[in-house]
Amino acid sequence: MSLASYAARRVALGLVQVLAVVTLVFFLVQALPGDAAVALAGDNPDPARISAIRAAMGLDRSVSERFVSWLAGLPRLDFGVSLVSGRPVADFLFAGIGPTVVLAALTLVLLVPISVLAGVLAALREGSLLDRALTSVSVALHSIPEFALAIVLIAVFGVQLAWLPPTAVGADLLTQPAVLVLPLVVLLARPICSISRLVRAGMLDALASDYVRHARRLGLGESRIRFAHALPNALAPAVQQVARTTDWLLGGVIVVEAVFVIPGLGTVLVDAVAGRDLPVVQGLAVVFAVTTVAVNLVADLVAFRLAPRAEVVA
Amino acid sequence: MSPVVHVEDLRAEANKNVLLDGVSFALSAGRVLALVGASGSGKTTTGLALLGERSPGVTVSGRVSLSGRVGFVPQQPASALNPVRRLGSVFREIAALHDGDPEDLVGTALRRARVPADLLRRYPHQLSGGQQQRVVLAQALVGDPAVLVADEPTTGQDALTRNEVVGELAAVVAQGVALVLLTHDVEVVRALADEIVVLRAGRVVEAGPANELLTDPRDDYTRALLDTVPPAPTTTPEQAPRLRVRGLTALYRNATVLHDVELEVGERLAVVGRSGSGKTTLGRCLAGLHQQASGEVLLHDRLLARSLRRRSRAELAAVQYVFQDARGSFDEHRPVLDQVARTAVRLRGVRPADARAAALTALNRVGLAQETVLRRPRGLSGGELQRAALVRALLAEPEVLVCDEITSGLDAVTRAGLLDLLAGVPCALVLISHDLDVVARLADRVVVLHEGRVVAHGPVETTLDGAEERMK
Repeated sequence: MSLASYAARRVALGLVQVLAVVTLVFFLVQALPGDAAVALAGDNPDPARISAIRAAMGLDRSVSERFVSWLAGLPRLDFGVSLVSGRPVADFLFAGIGPTVVLAALTLVLLVPISVLAGVLAALREGSLLDRALTSVSVALHSIPEFALAIVLIAVFGVQLAWLPPTAVGADLLTQPAVLVLPLVVLLARPICSISRLVRAGMLDALASDYVRHARRLGLGESRIRFAHALPNALAPAVQQVARTTDWLLGGVIVVEAVFVIPGLGTVLVDAVAGRDLPVVQGLAVVFAVTTVAVNLVADLVAFRLAPRAEVVA
Repeated sequence: MSPVVHVEDLRAEANKNVLLDGVSFALSAGRVLALVGASGSGKTTTGLALLGERSPGVTVSGRVSLSGRVGFVPQQPASALNPVRRLGSVFREIAALHDGDPEDLVGTALRRARVPADLLRRYPHQLSGGQQQRVVLAQALVGDPAVLVADEPTTGQDALTRNEVVGELAAVVAQGVALVLLTHDVEVVRALADEIVVLRAGRVVEAGPANELLTDPRDDYTRALLDTVPPAPTTTPEQAPRLRVRGLTALYRNATVLHDVELEVGERLAVVGRSGSGKTTLGRCLAGLHQQASGEVLLHDRLLARSLRRRSRAELAAVQYVFQDARGSFDEHRPVLDQVARTAVRLRGVRPADARAAALTALNRVGLAQETVLRRPRGLSGGELQRAALVRALLAEPEVLVCDEITSGLDAVTRAGLLDLLAGVPCALVLISHDLDVVARLADRVVVLHEGRVVAHGPVETTLDGAEERMK
């Protein structure tokens, strides 16, 4: 199968997946107990007022009617209106997506080269002091949860030594890059470990393979064998893990955003759930579904190119 | 003519074990020397020494002189070609190592190995087995080597591809390259070799011109190794068919690979045909391993379920399957004996201790000692594993045994042992093979498949000639 026809099939499948998730989210939210109108009426649960709120929010229409109109709005980025503030849900999403994307992009830009390099170095010096040191450090980092690492880093570098700002309260992320350093360290700690371990294992397999032995017999240079022959084969499993990490980052890493007070998608989600602002929760679910499907689509296409034999079963 | 390869008194040792002892030979340009011997005889060590290589832990002494470059043609080209690299870019990398215009170098090598230039855009998995073989040959020919070392170039290839490979190698030799052939495939030796060196346990048993050795071998070992004349097939009494297949049509993905196959398995049925003719799918349908099928498989007039999950234990025991890839059919983490004994426990309800004792006896009978089978599969050779796999299937006391190409990739001595074993089994055999010698020796009836249809069916004496025609 060619890359193009494979891509077309996967895109079609991705659209179906997004539609299924969106439908599921809508009906799950409907099934939640409690009544938004009652909650909004607050201290004054006058039946007349509650039914007025219902009418204003369209809650008096049938579920299927509301679903169709909500679904029709999605392609126009019309996610409905917040119950709490009355502002369009899209405003919340656009506000949150900026910081989350900045953080995710910077993390990935650092993550991929560092972890591939660490994995390759460990594999080339298998069993050496360097290999064991990289293994120990990365496993140690992987075993520390984000919130613990975040709090320790803030206590040491933010408060005691005062080298870096402890939180990003009120800061513009792009003009004050110093506020990003600690969150990036926390976000990188665990993925570096998982990805570099995969690259190391893949690289060891590839270096011991028949095609690498064959390339050596043909007289090709050692660095060309390592980086042009072994490495592409070693990367295939790591690509899937990078995709999972990307998905995790684009979902707004709630703990990190909360500890460092970064107003990303995670913060928006926490606020919306706390305020029972269901349209915003629904809107976020749509965003997460689309990013998950899109990221995995890209990963499968890359994996398809890296392992043309393996058909990724959709 | 002065020799281009000169090997004198080659010795190799690993941990005090002598792998090679006093091996000497010489070879001139345009000639073919075949190094033959069973697995472990030192063929590969000698071949590596010609390339100036040795396995870890091996010390090599002696004199190897070559006038000119040496190129290597690996066995199993499918695994020697990098799956993620297009052929063209690898060829350019190889050409950059040599003097001269890269385009010319690659073009010449491709022409000499008869690889069409439009294959360069492809990945290795987009080539047939024969094309892959020609590609690795072309890779070895870049830069015009004086000597080629070919390691088991026909292992695992079907009859047609094997003939192609022989043709390609002969064409290259005709261009003046000296060829050292490491092989146990006697057909290839017959077709190509000018001189033969027979190795056994690291020593030269016999050496000389090919026509002399092939017609009049002095040593018994040489005779056993080069002897391919099959003994007369054992006659078996006629019996009612045990297994009947009616209207079997099988799909693989969207392609129909078997069309309305009808057959009866009496005693020893051989299924022959080229790669892709549906032989293996037919065997898998009998064993319940292929579900995308319609039609009936009857055992003693009882219908067998299409999927083995819905077959009873007795039905599972009645049809056993021995796979082509013996190594792949064993769990690499458990001792071979445990796995062989397990069949009888699972399928016949034998107590584990009894099954183990029975397995040991049966394994001993096929020449596998207790200390061998207590090892994990990694510690056994391909031939040993194939015998263990056969014993494992027989311990289920099957009515019908399906053997899928179980002799391919084995040397002549090991193969002969396995065939003797098969000749004595008490059950009906379905022998899937493209090796017509094996078929002639074991089978009493033959079914010839071509593109999923039965094109010939009959007693082995009358059907086999036609089968040979179709496979060529």
